[in-house]
Amino acid sequence: MASPVSVYNILESHTPPTRKESLKMELLSDVSLLPGEERITDKDIIYICPFSGAVKGKVLITNFRLYFKSSDADVTVTLDVPLGAISRVEKMGGASSRGENSYGLDITCKDMRNLRFALKQEGHSRRDIFEVLFRYAFPLSHGLPLFAYLSQEKYAETGWTIYKPVEEFRRQGLPNNKWRISFINKSYDLCDTYPTVLAVPYKSKEEDLRKVAAFRSRGRIPVLSWIHRENQAVIARCSQPLVGMSGKRNKDDERYLELIREANDTTKLTIYDARPNVNAVANKATGGGYEGDEYQNAELIFLDIQNIHVMRESQKKLKDIVYPNVEESHWLSSLESTHWLEHVKLVLSGAIQVADKVSSGNSVVVHCSDGWDRTAQLTSLAMLMLDSHYRTLRGFQVLIEKEWISFGHKFASRIGHGDKNHADQDRSPIFVQFIDCVWQMTKQFPTAFEFNEHLLLTILDHLYSCRFGTFLYNCESVRDQHEVRSKTVSLWSLVNSKVDMYLNPFYTPESGRVLYPVASMRHLELWVAYYIRWNPRIRQQQQSPVEQRYKELLALRDEYLKKLEQLQLSDSSTSSHLANSPTPNTTSSSTSTPSQQYTHLQTPL
Amino acid sequence: MEFAEHIKTANVEDVVLRQPLQPPSRGTLCITGHHLLFSDREESDSRQVLLLLRNIDAIEKRMSGSSGTITMKCKDLRVLQLDIPGMEQCLNIAHSIETLSCLDCVSAMYPFFYRPVDLSLPEQWGLSSPEMHYSQMKELYEKWRLSTVNRDYSVCPSYPPAVIVPKSIDDDTLKKAAKFRQGGRFPVLCYYHKKNGMVIMRSSQPLLGANRKRCKEDELLLQAVIEGSDKGYIIDTRSMQQAQQARMTGGGFESKSFYDRWKRFHRQMERGKALQESLIKLVEACGDESNNMDRWLSKLENSKWLSHVQNALSTAGLLVECVERDGHSVLVHGSEGTDCSLLISTLAQLIMDPCCRTMEGFLGLLEREWIQARHPFQQRCAHSAYSHARLQQESPVFLLLLDCVWQLWRQFPLALGFSEALLLRLATEVYASDYGTFLCNSDQERCALEVKERTHCLFRALLRPTERDYYSNPLYERTELAIWPSVHPQSLQLWKGYFLRWTQQVRHLEEAQEEIRNMVIEWGKLARS
Repeated sequence: MASPVSVYNILESHTPPTRKESLKMELLSDVSLLPGEERITDKDIIYICPFSGAVKGKVLITNFRLYFKSSDADVTVTLDVPLGAISRVEKMGGASSRGENSYGLDITCKDMRNLRFALKQEGHSRRDIFEVLFRYAFPLSHGLPLFAYLSQEKYAETGWTIYKPVEEFRRQGLPNNKWRISFINKSYDLCDTYPTVLAVPYKSKEEDLRKVAAFRSRGRIPVLSWIHRENQAVIARCSQPLVGMSGKRNKDDERYLELIREANDTTKLTIYDARPNVNAVANKATGGGYEGDEYQNAELIFLDIQNIHVMRESQKKLKDIVYPNVEESHWLSSLESTHWLEHVKLVLSGAIQVADKVSSGNSVVVHCSDGWDRTAQLTSLAMLMLDSHYRTLRGFQVLIEKEWISFGHKFASRIGHGDKNHADQDRSPIFVQFIDCVWQMTKQFPTAFEFNEHLLLTILDHLYSCRFGTFLYNCESVRDQHEVRSKTVSLWSLVNSKVDMYLNPFYTPESGRVLYPVASMRHLELWVAYYIRWNPRIRQQQQSPVEQRYKELLALRDEYLKKLEQLQLSDSSTSSHLANSPTPNTTSSSTSTPSQQYTHLQTPL
Repeated sequence: MEFAEHIKTANVEDVVLRQPLQPPSRGTLCITGHHLLFSDREESDSRQVLLLLRNIDAIEKRMSGSSGTITMKCKDLRVLQLDIPGMEQCLNIAHSIETLSCLDCVSAMYPFFYRPVDLSLPEQWGLSSPEMHYSQMKELYEKWRLSTVNRDYSVCPSYPPAVIVPKSIDDDTLKKAAKFRQGGRFPVLCYYHKKNGMVIMRSSQPLLGANRKRCKEDELLLQAVIEGSDKGYIIDTRSMQQAQQARMTGGGFESKSFYDRWKRFHRQMERGKALQESLIKLVEACGDESNNMDRWLSKLENSKWLSHVQNALSTAGLLVECVERDGHSVLVHGSEGTDCSLLISTLAQLIMDPCCRTMEGFLGLLEREWIQARHPFQQRCAHSAYSHARLQQESPVFLLLLDCVWQLWRQFPLALGFSEALLLRLATEVYASDYGTFLCNSDQERCALEVKERTHCLFRALLRPTERDYYSNPLYERTELAIWPSVHPQSLQLWKGYFLRWTQQVRHLEEAQEEIRNMVIEWGKLARS
């Protein structure tokens, strides 16, 4: 916890130098490689740390990571970067460059940091390491497999079974007499970016679906994402209608939306178009557009969320003010000028509108252009607000698998896994923005989520790492082709094998509660623990004692629940109240809250 | 004091009260000498709102036809509105509130009338006294003594009767040194660091004046503080330029030539008017009801409140570095030594000393640094952010302290034994209270008005078992280490619990905190059973 440098900046810090002897041990001996991970090369190198200056040490490159350890006596710096997090590797300086440490490598990462290494100028010393890095950081550009296909990791849990579409629909109460499960897309010929199992209006026929697909961008027809158990209002998602400049109409599409509306007698179907109005209009020029007046009994609301390019630029600006140096003198106005929080606000407030409409009994249809970026954000966040199941550790995994992975958020294009083309205009931090929104919600409702911040950070780390198959490829059809499920490990295998690390000790299940976060700038915060986590001076202090304490609390809670169970067994008169009380491991299915349990507890004690 | 003369209308029926987070309600309004009482007429659940008139910072009245509306903006940042039928009644009520909410006479204030049934006036007022504090600190006995040179407040009217000074310095020397310090606030000990025997001293500025007077006794006194050490540090809470300018008005700073073993740092800290204006801007931005919130972060920045927080924490950090890491004693002062000096010495002690981080320890610290060593609460907290009155001596230094403590609590969620709720309670009580703790400007005034005999002590009340439970931090785990705060703007947050307190969202968070507290306590109980 002691601050390593004098942060109040007058006195020099006196770090006692470490004994020389301790450095004799092999520098890189403490790296524990993953099963399937292989050493490629190692080298003496200088890491130009933005916080402690030039640090001598050794770098190790494997087929999975870049690992650096300092050899200097007074500074300990360790870097452990999955190669998947690297977006760009560049040579810095030339053989004739003057100045200390001017010759080396510049590495740009996807996770809000850059790394700079210097090497000795003689003998083309960087050529090998540059080539190795370039090759293994961008394996797909070099005909190599992603590390996920080389990993030999084994876990007690199998993450690939966490989401079973039919089971999830059954949990929601489907099929019923208004909605049916369709396998029309089982070989991806209705829509190649959709999952195979779809929930559609009961009255719609398979040929209707095909006709609608012809009028929706990339065949992404409106399908059910979620249904409200009591009022039967649904969230349906799709892509934009192909209206075009001439204002084409499609009776089948109009009739199909009418079927969605009728399914729960919604008087007016609300269509949320995530885009700003002008963008939707502009899309007509490229054959797209939005639902016009011909859709009777429907109202269209634009949610003003900007596109992937705007988000990418916003995050770039954010990175500029937090790495390597944090903006000090005008922090808040600089933060404001990145507009990052404003975008977060718009996404959240869009989702709130969706959730509110649905909980008041009206069905909604959500789309943007293609329905795989902003649409995924809106439906998944609204579902997180409406359905407490998605706020459990496993339920959240289902939500991501369902709304993001199975519905074809283009992870491969947005992240650029293993691809050297760092300037690709398709890259965009849409999923990061979604996780940020989730984080904002966990801050506003500290007892409503079963998982903790560490889970969100872990998800974002492996969004880039390529260690797991979970976030690879753009859609299910491609994933099937590449046999992701049989040849790679799921991130959820890791998570569910040591759940304790990801649990929030204060979680209180409340099944019926709809969470409405406040989407006002005053109540949103920058997620410092993610965006500025590489800066040792900003890093949240005392992290490990807090984690330790939370672990103790979890243990205490488990013990509490165990004792509660014993009391419940020994006292049959109160057992009826406690029948639903959670056992330590299955808190997710419970309906009674701990606070309710406390009141019951008074009697037996 | 007759309150009746200010109350022309004591009761009004059929008044509508609008307050944050609750639906409007209709009922009876009643004005007494100290309170505004509103009772809901609904029979189902009759609610009452009891508001100390002292809590009202500003009122606005608006007449329309035969009725009127009074908007009351409170020092706890709540905004309430009363719709009163009858123009005359409305004007009368407004007049009563205006007059009674800012009476100057301390002995007429509510703490002198507050007599709850479950509390009898205490034998001992406050948690401790300088005498008790000294007697409990055995480490001090060798080199430090308790001086009663100020027993009749004649040497320094703002000091308590007993202070801790170097053993080798006699009372006569103290008297002479006091003449060389503004307001007689000669250097006294405020903290002894047990780990290395170093101390924090506190004083006001030396009175060098334009012709650079010196005072042998003052030099001797400071010399005695660092006896056996190579040097000491002085942290002056003014900029070098301000300190130099102070010479023109008779003040100044310790010059290198006469205090050659003391190294001086200047850290400019805003206080007084600048700080008050910062608070006003911040509260205005927080209360901005317009939908146009695009500029929120800029407004927050422009208020400069968070830079004051940053400055206070970083100066306190410097102080801790001197004492804890560098191992030297420090003297802290600005001009009067009653505002920023207290702020940073309090924060430094919280950062360094685990004993100050328990609830008793924290309240004891506040008592020593702010009550006994005198922060002029009466002047500083007469008004808060809404008042239209011309600013005089108002300055939210204590509120700034609480905000800084909150930042520590947020950065070190386990290290403090008390919760945000305690800080919120203190932030409310300091402006309007049932208790006498924050009355008056000094110990001397407190004695003259018999505050200690005739009012209840807030700190003692807060340590009663039920209250103590309520304000404890369920996650608390004592750590012996210093808790070094990060002072980068990215690490500091707006204290929403206070500044956005009357919003639904913050209320939710309060409830969640409460829930977490109950949960942890319940688990603990069962684990022990």
